[in-house]
Amino acid sequence: MDANKIVSALADVTAEQDPTLKSAKLASLCSALWAERGVELVVVGGSAIEILTEGAYASGDLDMCHATKSTLTVAERKEIMGLLGAKGGPRNWQVAGMYLDLLGPVESFAHTPYRRVEAPYGSILLMKPEDLLVERVLVSFYLGESETARDCAKVLAAVALRKEIEMNWDEVRRVANRPEYRNLPQCVQLVKEVADELKIESPLHPD
Amino acid sequence: MNSKLKVPCIPIEGSISWADWLKGRRARRESSKLVAPGVIRRQSSSSDRRLKKLFHGQRGLPFTPTEEL
Repeated sequence: MDANKIVSALADVTAEQDPTLKSAKLASLCSALWAERGVELVVVGGSAIEILTEGAYASGDLDMCHATKSTLTVAERKEIMGLLGAKGGPRNWQVAGMYLDLLGPVESFAHTPYRRVEAPYGSILLMKPEDLLVERVLVSFYLGESETARDCAKVLAAVALRKEIEMNWDEVRRVANRPEYRNLPQCVQLVKEVADELKIESPLHPD
Repeated sequence: MNSKLKVPCIPIEGSISWADWLKGRRARRESSKLVAPGVIRRQSSSSDRRLKKLFHGQRGLPFTPTEEL
């Protein structure tokens, strides 16, 4: 990406006041710049859920991981993020009026692809909703009964049940049965609850 | 024809264009709000200090109202 385009993209992201657009555009810009050095980034956690659902959940930080085995050296990160006028580093930056956290290698159990949005400065990869749903259900049931995590799982289920994102429900079932989670009954329960609210048949129903 | 059929889906295979992702924003928000109304952003986290400093006491920018999506 040439210098003029970076300046123009950075100005666009900085001026953006819609938090979801801002997050998506920053992910797009960073993904493009890192990809030029051979590293593929993935948006994860609440940031990914927000881009997938518009659930009004995410805060002002963007969480990303690297999907490629290797990542950039500290010097390379400094160079790239310096192009964006970022402060901080080497894993957390304040950039374009928000925060970017680079969390390390991505962890995914689903066999589906990362979802892909062709954003203005390059493709954004998003964590697989199958992983996100099972993980949020785990958090909502086991770690202090988090109402926020439960709401987050519900919005993901709702958008998938209404087919606004394509979900592989067999993969949800398989991931939820893995030893890392073992929470299929809770996933079935939550998806049924949402399906009942929406008057849609649950694809995870035991029948 | 059912207007729901016109909402672009974020697919498993391939990708969704930016224009289609933008077009689907309102429908996704409406679906979300059927089961979890209002803003469901966490009230606190370990990032509070830096977030509240940057966003004037809030944890992020305000969400765009559904009708403006």
